Amino acid sequence: MNKQSADGKSKRPKTGRIFSMRAMLWFIGIAMIVVAIGPFVFDKYTTNVLIRSFLYAVTVLTVDILWGYTGILTFGQSAFFGIGAYAAALTFTHLGFSPEMAALSFIGGIVVSMAVAWLVGWIAFWHRASPLYVAVLSLVLPIIVVQLLYSGGKFTGSSSGLVGFEAFDISVNGWFWIAGGLLITLTAIGWLFVHSDFGRVLVAIRENEKRCQFLGIDTTRIKIILMMAMAAVASIAGYVYACYTVVVAPEIAGFVFGTELVIYTALGGRATLIGPAIGAVLIDLTSAYLSGNLPFIWKLIVGTIFVAVIVVLPQGAAPVVKGLFMRLGAFFRRTPGQPAIGDIASLSTLAAVESPSSRPGGVTDFAALKTENLSRHYGSFKALDTISFEARDGELLSIVGPNGAGKTTLMQCISDGQGRSGGNVWINGQLIGRKSPQAVVKLGIGRSFQNTNMFESLNVSECLRLARYCHERPALFSRETDLALPGAAMRIIEATGLEAIFDSEARNLSHGQKRALELTMVLAIEPSVLLLDEPTAGLTKAERTLIGGILADLSRDDELCVLLIEHDLDFVRQVSSRVIVLHQGGLLMDGTVQEVVASDMVKAVYSGQHAIEEHQ
Amino acid sequence: MTAALKIESVESGYDKTPVIRGISLDVQPGEIVTILGKNGMGKSTLLKTIMGFVRASKGHISLFGKNVVGERPYRIARHDVSYTPQEFTLFQDLTVEENLRLGVPDDVTFHRRFEQVGYHFPVISERLKQRAGTLSGGEQKMLLVSRALIAQPKLMLIDELTEGLQPTVIAKLTEVLRLERDRTGVAILLVEQNLRFALSIADSYAVLNLGQIIDRGNDTTAATIEKIAEELSV
Amino acid sequence: MHGELGDTLAINLALDVITSSAILFIISVGLLIIFGVMKILNFAHAGFISVGGYAGLVTTKFEVSPWLSFPLAFVIGAAIGAVLERLVIRHLYKRPLDAILAAWGIGIILVQLITILFGREIQFVQRPISGTLDVIGESYSTYRLFMVLGAVAVGSVIAWLLQRTRLGLNTRAVIMNDDLAQALAINSVRVRFISFSLGSGLAAMAGAMITPLSSVDPNMGFPWIVSAFMIVLLSGTSLVSLAASSFVLGGAQVLVSTFVNPVVGGLSIVILAAIILRIRPEGFSLE
Repeated sequence: MNKQSADGKSKRPKTGRIFSMRAMLWFIGIAMIVVAIGPFVFDKYTTNVLIRSFLYAVTVLTVDILWGYTGILTFGQSAFFGIGAYAAALTFTHLGFSPEMAALSFIGGIVVSMAVAWLVGWIAFWHRASPLYVAVLSLVLPIIVVQLLYSGGKFTGSSSGLVGFEAFDISVNGWFWIAGGLLITLTAIGWLFVHSDFGRVLVAIRENEKRCQFLGIDTTRIKIILMMAMAAVASIAGYVYACYTVVVAPEIAGFVFGTELVIYTALGGRATLIGPAIGAVLIDLTSAYLSGNLPFIWKLIVGTIFVAVIVVLPQGAAPVVKGLFMRLGAFFRRTPGQPAIGDIASLSTLAAVESPSSRPGGVTDFAALKTENLSRHYGSFKALDTISFEARDGELLSIVGPNGAGKTTLMQCISDGQGRSGGNVWINGQLIGRKSPQAVVKLGIGRSFQNTNMFESLNVSECLRLARYCHERPALFSRETDLALPGAAMRIIEATGLEAIFDSEARNLSHGQKRALELTMVLAIEPSVLLLDEPTAGLTKAERTLIGGILADLSRDDELCVLLIEHDLDFVRQVSSRVIVLHQGGLLMDGTVQEVVASDMVKAVYSGQHAIEEHQ
Repeated sequence: MTAALKIESVESGYDKTPVIRGISLDVQPGEIVTILGKNGMGKSTLLKTIMGFVRASKGHISLFGKNVVGERPYRIARHDVSYTPQEFTLFQDLTVEENLRLGVPDDVTFHRRFEQVGYHFPVISERLKQRAGTLSGGEQKMLLVSRALIAQPKLMLIDELTEGLQPTVIAKLTEVLRLERDRTGVAILLVEQNLRFALSIADSYAVLNLGQIIDRGNDTTAATIEKIAEELSV
Repeated sequence: MHGELGDTLAINLALDVITSSAILFIISVGLLIIFGVMKILNFAHAGFISVGGYAGLVTTKFEVSPWLSFPLAFVIGAAIGAVLERLVIRHLYKRPLDAILAAWGIGIILVQLITILFGREIQFVQRPISGTLDVIGESYSTYRLFMVLGAVAVGSVIAWLLQRTRLGLNTRAVIMNDDLAQALAINSVRVRFISFSLGSGLAAMAGAMITPLSSVDPNMGFPWIVSAFMIVLLSGTSLVSLAASSFVLGGAQVLVSTFVNPVVGGLSIVILAAIILRIRPEGFSLE
């Protein structure tokens, strides 16, 4: 890719991220000191409890990444903790202890956990599953694991579990440093991960998974891989736990523990990572002390606070704590001159995308888009009835029709292989079959949506980078400050002044700005077929003319095939090369603008509209 | 006389997108007012704001003298207002009779008022046990109007009644609405794209463009149609 | 297997399947109502089942007729459900994942309260009907057979409520289209309130009904909810589909438990349900 640097504007806008890099470094520093001197400061009981708390906190990190950041509510991380623990216990009990066995069981626990995570992910994360279903499955997982452990007889120790197996000969202090070190390391790595460009992708999935899919992002695959990675981490925590306590019982894999992990995350502050980690340690420590005195009442109190927090304070404790810190002074804020997260240092234009005529193989005979007998039924109701038409590169095809005619349904059926009830769709000569939206995007479709609910907490530059996912994989542990966009997208940015608001969160944009962003994102995918659903709805006359001009240029100069759903017939007349008219699910007419406007049939459908048409 | 509906400087929208940008309007009892404009200009949003589905961020809305901003839709509906939305208007899987019953608060009232329905639209009373989804487009609209009328409203809010209908059906609906207005003095606020139909039935009109009223008047003759058509094309 | 032994097995198996299906139906029906109206799975379901079970214990301790435990459980469950809907669930209408999380928390709170009040040991309640009945020459637990009657009765009453009362019509309207229902002056907030209370009451009543079959302990509800959730996910919003799902999945569980292994049998509902949902996302519902 040739990058021509644009007029390198550098920006230093402020962002709203909860903890800056500086706060993180301070946290690590303080944590390391606490862990280093801990055993000499705390009494034996506290030290022992903290080892356990640290390991729980590691597992809580995985829950926060899955639920807080990515939106996958899971009660099942305890299952993987249990698998890791039992891997150690089973191996040492039945095969004895040795360095080889230690390594074997460590890896074995991870491998089994990842395999189970893959299976659960494959069942749970599919195109039309609801988050509810995922939550139910995550509850089912630990129940099944515990059932299996109960029925394992002597092998697994059944309900009593396994005790007293030989394991590592490490002092309590040693375990403290290991557990503490593990927590600090994983928190630091996790923090880098969630603040990276990829971390933004996770947030995008949480906020609007469908939209991500229509940007070509394979969200299913991402979620499964994430689950597998988090399962591995939880397994490691469980392994260390088993080696330290030398006692395992089925409860550590159960849903009660799994729920506690979620509670710690909710109370500590979901999607902050540090909040849940600290919260887990503090609550577990407190539980240990209070449990002796009032075992069930303590659980009751925690449960009640949990429910109250969900209702009243869904963000948990972290923002409250952050507020306190803010008042403590500038200490935890960024020093001037240091780049903030989300800055774009330079915005540049990609070299021209290959036009169809320069594609390998040249201009093909295939239409860019073709449908044949496309239908969509809901029971006896026909939303679309055998629609057949073609659209070529360089055409701007407007789809018009009264409300309920099926226009948006048509776009749904073209962009989602699972959408239609019958018929076929070809994109650049390839059948879309039953492909998911993300796979259809790879065939060349770029779709924009009527409603502007996008990604609430992502800012404009992050949205654009997200749209480049298919062409430029985001970094896993860092943030890129350069953003290169295709020429078409750059034109929209320049024409609408989007660059000035790169650091604004998407939810704060005006309607016109959101529409501009939506269009830019679609173009950033570098599609060959554009499906635009009422792109100018709610815009002023001036804005509409602007967008209309750009769209006409796109189809003409870049030879894109553009399909447009529009209500504004004047707009349609200005920009279209062809018009198709839908009415009650059927294709009424397919022809040039003049033909359609002059047609009696169309006039009858738009009964009053013709009064408008006649007087232009 | 208290206006059936009084809107003053109302603003509303979705999220931070303003759609209605300051509208003032009156509908007196027995009056038929039509709101005209192209799609996407805020006509449906106006009705949704009156009914409480969209929260008005500024301004006052009162029904028969009572301020209704901030009330939930079902409470607003209890002010003798019937609302006929543009889409998802009937329960497709419920029978015609069940859809009608939902127009009145209880079944006793339903049986009392039921003859009205047969009077205006005999075809509806023939299809009582059929699922609403199996009716034709025109029949569904007739069912809609029946349901609205059986509530004996003092104010009707109608969103795009005639879209996609045959002229004969439109004529019948026009006749029914006029009869009811003459008989009961119901006020009607009609949102329409079909200029011809709207101006044939309305006493006065208001033209909506980009969330604001750009023209209003009482002259509903043919000449007005041309004038409005031009206004809307700008 | 031939002859008498085979017949015995077949009859027992058939009765096991029918009674298990009935039990699953009763356990799940409260969940279905809440799911249909509020579009969320009541994650507090396990807690309500336990509440019902302990209502049964109370009637046993006070030496009144065990039959009283059913209405008692229903009333207590409905009351608790009403309070919870008002205080918690209502505010989470727009946040469904948070709603189920809060409900889960509530379920745990309920179980904790029960543990504090009654202790965590396993206890037993008195059966309303004991003994066995002769069915085609086989002796079968009368109480289990009664459960079939119970399922039919509960299902019929709810169907009657939904189809023949105004409240039922309003509820069906809210299930289909909340906004449209509100436009027709239906207080959908109150409909949701009533549905949640009813669903909770039914869950508790189910707990009281199944307790005589085994025992009571604070965690008795949890093993059931996995099956109940899956069955409801397969049933959409239809009572008929619920009956079908209960039958198919209950039957599978019985058959697998008998011929393979009880542990695998316990898992079979989940596995089968996951497979069916993957193939046909609407499950057994006819929508």
